[in-house]
Amino acid sequence: MRRHLASAKSTLGFGAGWKWSKIGIEILVALGSLLMLAPIMLIFITAFKPDAEIIHFKSILPEQWTLGNFREILGSPEEIPIFRWVANSLFISSMVTILVLTVTSMAAYALARLSLPGKKWIFMLIVATLMIPGQILLVPIYLILEWIHWIDTPLALIVPAGASAFGVFLLHQFFLSIPRDLEDAAAIDGCSKFGIFWHVVIPLSRPALATLGIFTFVGSWNDFLGPLVFLDSVDKYTLPVGIALFQTSYYAEYALTLAASVICTLPVLIVFLLFQKHIIKGIALTGLKE
Amino acid sequence: MGMSNKMRQFTWSGYMFLVPYLLLFSSFLILPLIYGLALSFCQWEILSPAPPRFVGWANYQEALNSEYFWKAFWATFRFVLMAVPIIVSSALLISCGLNQVTARNRQSFYRAAYFLPTLISISVAGILWRWFYNNEFGLFNAFLADWGLKVPWLTEVSVAMKSIVLMTLWWTVGGSVIIFLAALKQIPDQYYEAASIDGAGTFHRFLYITLPLLRPVLLFVVVMSIIGSFQVFGQTFMMTRGGPELSTRVLVQYIYETAFTNYRMGYAAAMSWLLFLAIAVFSIIQFRLMRER
Repeated sequence: MRRHLASAKSTLGFGAGWKWSKIGIEILVALGSLLMLAPIMLIFITAFKPDAEIIHFKSILPEQWTLGNFREILGSPEEIPIFRWVANSLFISSMVTILVLTVTSMAAYALARLSLPGKKWIFMLIVATLMIPGQILLVPIYLILEWIHWIDTPLALIVPAGASAFGVFLLHQFFLSIPRDLEDAAAIDGCSKFGIFWHVVIPLSRPALATLGIFTFVGSWNDFLGPLVFLDSVDKYTLPVGIALFQTSYYAEYALTLAASVICTLPVLIVFLLFQKHIIKGIALTGLKE
Repeated sequence: MGMSNKMRQFTWSGYMFLVPYLLLFSSFLILPLIYGLALSFCQWEILSPAPPRFVGWANYQEALNSEYFWKAFWATFRFVLMAVPIIVSSALLISCGLNQVTARNRQSFYRAAYFLPTLISISVAGILWRWFYNNEFGLFNAFLADWGLKVPWLTEVSVAMKSIVLMTLWWTVGGSVIIFLAALKQIPDQYYEAASIDGAGTFHRFLYITLPLLRPVLLFVVVMSIIGSFQVFGQTFMMTRGGPELSTRVLVQYIYETAFTNYRMGYAAAMSWLLFLAIAVFSIIQFRLMRER
């Protein structure tokens, strides 16, 4: 069929033009992707420039490569507790990921598989909240957290994140696609409900769990408004908020802030390069599930 | 089959799977929702010892009569009006181009390049673009200086919001590109080939095959980007702090300042609900426009 059509194309006389327009399109796509990558590459290149070269721009590449910016931001932990911020960010993002994966997978399993009266209504309520913009909950959540004395503690950023409706939705759809036979077989063998969940469903759902886990981790790592509002002390900050504060206090010192940006961006880039397939698949999935 | 029915039998223990999530869901989603609504009808300055006092619609009236509220609303609205069409159509164009790249590994390389900026933290992206946009030593003006041009990217009222949209395009277009590309790959090649034989040009193929088949996904992306754009905050907060002359102070920033620098919790809650209302109205309009036809 394909070959037939291809020959039809060339006999119709637009075979060569077709090929050239394809190459033209790819050149445009490639140029566009270069424009997208350029700012990220500039973070990494410019972080090695001395400040003077940034203020008097001559060329994109540094005339004089320097590690001075990194030495300066890493060398004064009193003023710029950047290791502290990295540790806080790592701790919070990991905890959020573990919490979200645990509670949403259990809930999604119950909603997808167990016979529970009223579960349809519960699922609809959870899905309905997907439409609620998170920002409008900011003030009431702040007040609730203050009431239970969690403001300015990592708990303020970890525990509320567990209410992820997106996580329940994503895993619910995935669990529905797992064939039931395996669970039935495990039940016949006398496996308990939790045993089936833990030994059958979870191992089969690794791809979906990985996708949700990566989303959650990156989302939490880059979260800005949450830590900005819920944290007060500088040594409790996460990296993005720390850098933002850093920028206001070292107003025009772009060299230093860009060096700090490298430290903030590197882990996310590594996560992306390691798990690229899962991330892309997961995003494509959110759009295709109607 | 008898066994499988037994497995699906109802027992109370099944609810144990739901309890941890529902506990979090009700305390950090449902409760704040109700609490926020109740709060929006109260006057409460968190620093004063006076407890919250019921004031009816007063907060809503104040917002609707306030010049600052409307200024923030229009700033947000202008952003939505520019950002949503520009970002969605760029994403569509890019994904159609990507779909034409037949070599698998080159396609995934380009796709990754378009997606990468969405992973950058807003504070990093904001700092970076503030440097690009800087009037005196910014990268853009350094390039433009060769032609004797100088653009006041973030300091002129007529330019600032456009600069923020441009940065947002770079920062967020990748997510939609991936969603569109996945949908485009599901359209069978034969459709296009058949249309080509019938003499349909590129534009007609796009109009009569791609667009109709893409409509559900397009609707999803448009609605999601409306919801996201109405909540714009990080970009303006990092790059302009709402300036110049409050022209980029968007609603979320105004709500943030009302709650956490002026400590007026009730008023901030009321404005949050007005924002929610605006998002709901525009999402529904979009659903109507794109579903029926």
